[in-house]
Amino acid sequence: MLFNSLGFLAFLAAVSVGFYALPRRWRWVLLLAASYYFYALWRFENLGYLLAATLSAFGCGWAITHSSRPAARKAALVAGLLFNLGLLAAVKYYDFAAGQAALALRAGGLLGPEGDLPRLGLTPPVGLSFYAFSVVTYLVDAYTGRMAGEDDLGRFALYVAFFPKVFAGPIERARTFLPQVALAPGPDAQRIVAGLQLIGWGLFKKVVIADNLAPLVDRAFNRPLYAPPVDLIVGAYLFAFQIYCDFSGYTDIAIGASRLLGFDLLENFRRPYLARSTAEFWSKRWHISLASWFRDYLYIPLGGSRVGGPRRYFNVMAVFVVSGLWHAGLGYGVGWGFMVWGALNGAYQWAGLATAPLWRRAGAALPRVRASGAWHALRVLFTFHLIAFAWIFFRAATVGEAFTILRRIYGALGKLPMMVRLYPFGAAHYTAAALIALLLAVEVLDERRPLAERLAAAPLAVRWALYYAAIFALLILGRWHAQQFIYMQF
Amino acid sequence: MRRFARSAAAFVALGLVLYAAVYGAAEWLVYRTGDANPFYKIATLPERRVDWVILGASHAMPLDFAEFNATMERETDKRIVNLAATGAGVLYNRFVLEQFLESHEAGAVLFVLDSFSFYDRQWNEGRFSDVKLIRRTPLSGSLARRLLAYGLAHGVPLTAALDYLSGFSKINNEERFERDVWEGEAKFERVFRFSQVQDRQRIAYLYPFEQVDAATFERYWAQFADFVAFAKARGLGLVVVKTPIPAHIGAMIPGEADFDARVAAFLAAQGVPFHDFSGVGNDTSYFFDTDHLNRKGLTLFFEQRLKPILAGIPAPAAPRP
Repeated sequence: MLFNSLGFLAFLAAVSVGFYALPRRWRWVLLLAASYYFYALWRFENLGYLLAATLSAFGCGWAITHSSRPAARKAALVAGLLFNLGLLAAVKYYDFAAGQAALALRAGGLLGPEGDLPRLGLTPPVGLSFYAFSVVTYLVDAYTGRMAGEDDLGRFALYVAFFPKVFAGPIERARTFLPQVALAPGPDAQRIVAGLQLIGWGLFKKVVIADNLAPLVDRAFNRPLYAPPVDLIVGAYLFAFQIYCDFSGYTDIAIGASRLLGFDLLENFRRPYLARSTAEFWSKRWHISLASWFRDYLYIPLGGSRVGGPRRYFNVMAVFVVSGLWHAGLGYGVGWGFMVWGALNGAYQWAGLATAPLWRRAGAALPRVRASGAWHALRVLFTFHLIAFAWIFFRAATVGEAFTILRRIYGALGKLPMMVRLYPFGAAHYTAAALIALLLAVEVLDERRPLAERLAAAPLAVRWALYYAAIFALLILGRWHAQQFIYMQF
Repeated sequence: MRRFARSAAAFVALGLVLYAAVYGAAEWLVYRTGDANPFYKIATLPERRVDWVILGASHAMPLDFAEFNATMERETDKRIVNLAATGAGVLYNRFVLEQFLESHEAGAVLFVLDSFSFYDRQWNEGRFSDVKLIRRTPLSGSLARRLLAYGLAHGVPLTAALDYLSGFSKINNEERFERDVWEGEAKFERVFRFSQVQDRQRIAYLYPFEQVDAATFERYWAQFADFVAFAKARGLGLVVVKTPIPAHIGAMIPGEADFDARVAAFLAAQGVPFHDFSGVGNDTSYFFDTDHLNRKGLTLFFEQRLKPILAGIPAPAAPRP
């Protein structure tokens, strides 16, 4: 059951009504049952992975909380981390790694021409990357004393399986989620409206924007060797917006659905293409729940920015390469492209760190330029292009195809004006341009003053007109028979 | 919360009014861009009575490409309406015929038979859910009732009736401003360059199974028998034909000889004429894709095989003693 389906909207409505009809102390039971039902609908066998992650983390968390011996606590933490991250590694990466190792061994003569390494042949369960990271936050936070371990298995199971976030996050922290299970507030009109607004906007971004851009993106990336260079350029730009609208659309629906049920999830996107640097993009605006996970559970334990010189550079690159590894998934295949994408973004951070003193000095020398709108816009544009460039490695089927795309675009640059003039732009291109313009207009307005505030202050007629416009855009322009969410495949 | 509920109810009510307006506009577009959809043809057919109704799947559709139907009418002096639809099996064709007879009369039915539709639900019950068909089907109370009845009697997905009645696929039609023609019509004049890869893909698409599911086949065979009985009961003449297909494609179809033999025996017992033209006039230059006749092939097929059949109207069949 996808978020962009009538079935999900009916399911959500039924769960919401049931949730508020039940006495407060039983509400979490309904949510847990609904979450397991929702997850099992995708593939019943996947429940095994979800239960394994839940039980292992709960057991280890219990041991961490109730053991007084430091060694036992540490052993429980290590066991929990090894089990969950090991499960993730085995299911998601082992077959790819074995294939690559076999290739290397054959090339080195250590394996015969027909020789191979054994494979697991497992289908990675949807959402594993997200809930495995969620339980890591619980184990580490319980160990470091940032939260007390949860003694109620049912409530903990709800934290892992909560249906709005189980497939693609946000990667919620146990310490912020679990207290909300106990609260279970009654229905609140403002929260319901806010939740519905987010669900509507999320659906709009997914089925109207992302899924209308998808065919143009696929046209480029599915045949990089033969697509006209203009298609490749258009595809590369549009993919940046497709993946943003697809993933942030999912997140908005997840947060909106949670809000209907009285839960607040982490903010995951904050108008990322308005970032003025790649550091700002990654630390404050894009997939915030994952970025903060890497910050809290990898970067800081490695020493973060407290260490100096080369060690800090190493930490930054480690975070981005591991992030690339985490993203390697099913949708575009497990491949080296994700690692290149991660390393490229790491290299951007290196360049940012290395040139930061220079920019500070330049800014101090030219304060008026630094404060000008034109300089601001230039930085936003430059950052966007760096990010869009890296997305090519993310989206292309292989690193080789990514380089093919870049080589063909580069080769066509001299003839680009003529190519653009002769290119048969059609309704799909104009629709895509209009949708992106609309998206950016909304984001700029939201950046200046939150849209929710603007809506709340607007007259009823304006609010309703906007709601109807969004709903009928969904009905008329939405691609409801299209794809699943990209990030559900990681 | 009570104020909120009242406000929400007003919002929904006004939304429904707006929805009705959008639905009306989408329905208007269905008539403006309509062409190939069988129900559109039924809704806009000026005559109450026709001599021939042509039914079948995509192999029957070229008979209505460009001006070909008008040519056939002129040459045979018969009024012909072609209600074939892509991938339509017996159940869907029966539905179309029933809907046609709700408002019109016919002398006879020419049923263009394909074996693939006997092997899978997607060509029968599944066709009713195809948004490409639903979004071009004009709104009709009798059609909606029949769709619901088929849902209860034959297991046609009720979501198809829901989609049809709500008008969602029409409102959401991304090709709303384009004429409703099957993409094959644009290739009608072409000669196909065959390749083994495409041949294999086509057969794998139409016959994806490794082994025939006997229960499924018998289910659609029984519906075929019902279809014959229905035509007879309504006093319609019935002729069943198979159109030419390239010999090498025919040879790739699993179990086709057995299927043909069973059809021939059954129809002979029913007194229904059966003409298997699959192996005649099937030079590869007569096709615009792997198995659909182009203009040259269709002209030859019509002149040599179909014209004599369409020129007469068979009497309703009676079982042979």
